Amino acid sequence: MTCNITDFLQRIFSFREDPLTSNYRENRLRPPGAVDEKRFMALCIRCNRCLEVCPYNCIRRAGLGRSIGTPYVLPEQKACYLCMACCRLCPTGALDKLLNNPEQVVMGKARIDPTICYSHLFLEHDILPETAGKRIGALCNTCYNVCPLADKAIALKNNLSPVILDGCVGCGICVERCPTRPRRAVNVIPAGMGRVDEAGFYFRKARKHYETAVSAERRGAAQPLTGEKLLEMKSKIEGPPEAPKFQFPYETPKGIEGWD
Amino acid sequence: MYRPYRRVVQISVFAAMFLIPVLNLYEIYAVTGTFYAINIGGLGIADPVVIFQAIFASGELTVPLLTAAIFPVFLALLLGRVWCGWMCPYHLLADAAAWLRGLFARRLLRIETRQGLPLSGALPANTCRFGFLIAGTIAAGAIGIPVLNYFNAPAISSTEAMIFVKERSLSLEFGFIALLLLLELSILPRFWCRLFCPTGAFVSLFRTRFTLHVGADSKTPKAPCCKENLCSLACPMGLKPFREGTNLLCTNCARCIDACRGGSSHGRLRFKGFSGQR
Repeated sequence: MTCNITDFLQRIFSFREDPLTSNYRENRLRPPGAVDEKRFMALCIRCNRCLEVCPYNCIRRAGLGRSIGTPYVLPEQKACYLCMACCRLCPTGALDKLLNNPEQVVMGKARIDPTICYSHLFLEHDILPETAGKRIGALCNTCYNVCPLADKAIALKNNLSPVILDGCVGCGICVERCPTRPRRAVNVIPAGMGRVDEAGFYFRKARKHYETAVSAERRGAAQPLTGEKLLEMKSKIEGPPEAPKFQFPYETPKGIEGWD
Repeated sequence: MYRPYRRVVQISVFAAMFLIPVLNLYEIYAVTGTFYAINIGGLGIADPVVIFQAIFASGELTVPLLTAAIFPVFLALLLGRVWCGWMCPYHLLADAAAWLRGLFARRLLRIETRQGLPLSGALPANTCRFGFLIAGTIAAGAIGIPVLNYFNAPAISSTEAMIFVKERSLSLEFGFIALLLLLELSILPRFWCRLFCPTGAFVSLFRTRFTLHVGADSKTPKAPCCKENLCSLACPMGLKPFREGTNLLCTNCARCIDACRGGSSHGRLRFKGFSGQR
């Protein structure tokens, strides 16, 4: 009962779907080396030197609100590439000056949503997600391929589906490159952020692009297919009509000289 | 005449505000930063009131924080509030606003403008700006956010310049600068630097009797030497320079020195300081 009341109150007072009132505005994904949010807000003098020095233009400047002028990273559009240029420059220590190893950064942690991720959908539910009218079935694994700390931050379970490991620093490159639209299958939850379900919230500020996993499930997109339907769908996947014949102009050697 | 030198310094600082981000775009990082905090060839300099706020809000005192504030404080101890009078980009804009205001009044409305400064007199003005500084500092301690940074006109102008160069856009804080300039142009001439600016208020606290200041040859004259009271008319801060040269409001802008004709009774106004009576 108490749980329900808390949920109810949260729904009333947090206005979750509106990024202008959600707590994401007060808990953004900070640049690498940022101290914890409360101290960051106190120490950051809004001088924007990190923004100025960032060679990839990843760091943005927060707009109107309590955190106005402070730097943040919006990985959906441009992720942090962990060059660590901003940390050295911070004049007040809001970004840790001594930090120069990308593996020690704690910006946040990525989280894969298995109800959207192409690999997870295909492997676990045998679903070919529909994108722009075309059914695409893929073991995409883009997140694994682009990760700068591959095998420390992200690994392929059974060499197939991506899972996030403890080494994830939250740079967000996987989020930037993730092919699913409108919602990314992988999102970064900023360090110290209270609510997991609000990861990547800011980007979905346009209501028309907003699509929750719940509503996708309600439409039946994420329900696993079974039995006849599954067989029917799988039979639609066409292979080549007959096995290709390869012609070799030379003979394969039976043995190599000098080898035992 | 100090005026041409002052304009050259002011305009070059104003140009540097745009030039620094341009150089950074071309990957020349000798000078980086905005007027919140700037780094000149490895020497970190930050606005002392910003640092003071950060110390107050975070409740910690670290070496990088203190070293950043040393240079401006040293400059203030040596030369007084020269940051305000000679360098501040907002002060140049305010000068422009005052000039425009005079122009409109003379050409269009054909009225003689007296300097109708709001809260005329040094004491109310000082009370107002130190009150603002103290209130802001208390608020910063209470909320844990350096609140006065949102009212730091020179730093905001510099940040806007950087954003303009880097992203070819302006952020909402530009509206703040525009609003201040509009107010200065219309109803409250010279109000920001005199009555509110937290940077100016904090910098003016660092003043000893050896700091550069304006004074006449004779000691503390009671009345102005010329009938027109030229120096007081010229002063943008509403001071009476012949006797209030050491006031905390004085920015050492040297307008009064330029205006002074060298009266008979107590000699010309000039810069004094360093040795006390020089």
